[in-house]
Amino acid sequence: MRIPLALLVTLSLLVGGVALAIAADRDTLIIALDTLGAQVMDPIADTRAPHAHYHAPLWDSLVGFDFEKGGVGPGVAERWTLAPDGKSWTFYLRKGQRFHNGDPLTAHDVKFSLERIMSPESISSGAAALRRAVDRIEVVDDLTVRVHTEGVIPHFAASLSRAVFMEGTVVPKKYIETVGVKGFREKPVGSGPWKFVRNVAGDRIEFEAVDSPHWRGTPQFKRLTLLLVPEQSTRLAMVRTGEAGIASIGPEAIKEVRSGGMKIVTVPGTMQAIYQFWGLYRPEVKNSPLTDVRVREALSLAIDRQQIIDHVMAKEARWPLPFTMYRYSIDVDVPRWETWAKTALRYDPARARKLLAEAGYPTGFPMTFWNTALPGTPFMVQIGEAVAGFWEKIGVKVDMKTVEWGVFDPMGRGEQKGLVGTATMFRTVGRPEPSPRYSTTLTSKGPQHLFGDPANCPALCQEADKAYDAVVSERDDAKRLAASNRMIELGANSWVVVPIIEGMGYWAVNPQRVGQFKPIPGRHELGDVAERIPRPDQRPWP
Amino acid sequence: MQRYIVRRVLQGVVVLFVLALVVFALARVTGNPADLLLAEDATAEDRAHLLKALGLDRPVHEQLVLFIRGALHGDLGQSIRYRKPAVEVFFDRLPNTLTLVPLALAAAIVVSIPLGLLAAVYRGTFIDRVCGTIAVLGIATPSFWLGIVLIYVFSIQLGWLPSARMGGPSHYVLPVITLAAFLVAGMMRLVRSSVLEVLESEFVKLARIKGLSQTVVIWKHCLRNALIPVVTLFGVFFALLVTGAIVTETVFAWPGVGRLTYEAVIFRDYPLLQAVILLKAIIVLGVNLAVDVLYAYLDPRVRYA
Repeated sequence: MRIPLALLVTLSLLVGGVALAIAADRDTLIIALDTLGAQVMDPIADTRAPHAHYHAPLWDSLVGFDFEKGGVGPGVAERWTLAPDGKSWTFYLRKGQRFHNGDPLTAHDVKFSLERIMSPESISSGAAALRRAVDRIEVVDDLTVRVHTEGVIPHFAASLSRAVFMEGTVVPKKYIETVGVKGFREKPVGSGPWKFVRNVAGDRIEFEAVDSPHWRGTPQFKRLTLLLVPEQSTRLAMVRTGEAGIASIGPEAIKEVRSGGMKIVTVPGTMQAIYQFWGLYRPEVKNSPLTDVRVREALSLAIDRQQIIDHVMAKEARWPLPFTMYRYSIDVDVPRWETWAKTALRYDPARARKLLAEAGYPTGFPMTFWNTALPGTPFMVQIGEAVAGFWEKIGVKVDMKTVEWGVFDPMGRGEQKGLVGTATMFRTVGRPEPSPRYSTTLTSKGPQHLFGDPANCPALCQEADKAYDAVVSERDDAKRLAASNRMIELGANSWVVVPIIEGMGYWAVNPQRVGQFKPIPGRHELGDVAERIPRPDQRPWP
Repeated sequence: MQRYIVRRVLQGVVVLFVLALVVFALARVTGNPADLLLAEDATAEDRAHLLKALGLDRPVHEQLVLFIRGALHGDLGQSIRYRKPAVEVFFDRLPNTLTLVPLALAAAIVVSIPLGLLAAVYRGTFIDRVCGTIAVLGIATPSFWLGIVLIYVFSIQLGWLPSARMGGPSHYVLPVITLAAFLVAGMMRLVRSSVLEVLESEFVKLARIKGLSQTVVIWKHCLRNALIPVVTLFGVFFALLVTGAIVTETVFAWPGVGRLTYEAVIFRDYPLLQAVILLKAIIVLGVNLAVDVLYAYLDPRVRYA
């Protein structure tokens, strides 16, 4: 009798456990993620985008999103103005905002937060840019704060939106001064639609919905749990079984999601997969075929982007616009560049061969192509393989070297010795404001400086520097638009930095657990969306 | 006996010191954590600031001295990724692995001993071949694949068990099976060969001559003796599971030290990687020492050797 009894007890425990696990209560929105980043509850202690998953539910940002179109919108500040001299921004805060401990959110908190994120101990990724930009911060009154900038920076306000950077996060001054940094990280308090409950390292972060309506949207679920599930197959299984409502996925999982009865939510314009040529302005590579613009254009014409969209990205990607430009970008002429992209980025292998022949390489030439993928975008390696395959078809002998990002990244800094005269895969992250990327890639002082460096800046490089200066400092909207379009022209016509596809963020959704929802264009992470995700009965899937 | 223990402890300290140097050097060969922490459009100034904030701007020899000095005081540094003491991060995760390992060991024993016994008793027969096939499958099946298959069958298709994560008893079933499968093959082969050896011994022959039944001979005389080498290897198996559960913990989203090791490597979190490897080494050395001491206690020849 003992054995059956033990079996019975074990089985009942198991079944009970399963019932509890599978019937994960319907009041909790569970999102399974591939990464939780550093999983540190403090904006100054994390550097990369994963904190847009888990910081955004808890904290508001000084400048918010345009939830419909993507890009910048009202946040903690409902509006902002630029001073006549262009050197200070005044932010007007919403009335009646409170932190979860009851303290009112005031201009003092905003000043404290910005100064804290610029402090030496901050490793936040945009902190250095903010340090360079901010002269001083002044509290005008409880609901008005003024930031004096170092010179005229037309896009300064946008940089305080999570659509661009994470440095606009507002934290509670009084609370941090009372409990200290350690106390704050253990029990963080914010003003967002979700209150912090628990942070279990390597496993999950739990939140609870606020009791009162919130300007970002009042949560439809009582609780929000973000699970760290590194393996994609496991995340998909959890969504299929209902253990999670939503899971982050890559494009390679799209077919499985469709066949498994799950829904796919795609976030448009989260990134651009590109390839770029390094150091072609340097004398040591002056004889390289790649220095000929016809050759570079031929390489672009050889790529069948639609094939990549259809087969590598399972049709869930878009035709790209020029380098670092998205359909929600500001200060650019989107219709003009959409037309350009349709023609210039076409697949035309015959024209590609003709251009190669004109350049003196009718049978092709050898080239080195570094293939790599940034964290969270493993599909970039497959895109790189496809691109190399297309180049081979027009006779180019591609020596493809696939390296992990951690190995590749240092190669692009400093002397760029291994990269000069070669092509590499790269990506640009989706931001409404493209100037940070122009600075990085195209200007002579930028870390990549593809057109030239301060010691060796040819005409194209000088023109890019000039256009960039106007992009980031011109106050006249029309002139700034013209400068921005010029910047795009320089990138597009040089074929030095070439878009391949416009990528998306992908989410697998269990329609029995979660209703239909719309993400914010360009923002892959759902930290600013969770409060607007409905229950399945509130907005069923078609 | 005390001299023996002291000698083994001193040997362990030397091993740890050498290991610390090797880990310190190898961790830095693979790249710099700043490159993974920085956004791709970070400037040289951003990088310099981050390196300073992380304490990685100092020369390597200086970092080594600081590491050794800290380690001697029990401080293995601050995790670059988690912004917490690396030792604290390790011990936060260790209990999660320790709840899984004994269950996996128990499951491996429950399966492998009867199978090994059957294979030995029915040597050369169909049963032996079936057991042999199971052993080969166990060795050849990657844990990663087995885990995913188990999830597909028991979670998705049958809906009996949860797919992943720590939780109630049902959450342990699939990871325990995956982890145990890794051991069953080796353990079974060990039991089989031990039993075969004992079956050929004089005292077993005598037991049979005395007219004892096959069941008594096998269970009472043979198995007990055959299990000695298996029990001896328990320490090795235990250490193997604690340090080698990376794949199982990743597939089942189990927040244990196996996955922590993987994360430390991927993110080039030097202090965490150093701490994890050193602390695991201490565990392995501790378990080995305990087994050796036990062995020396049981067999005086060992301590006089």
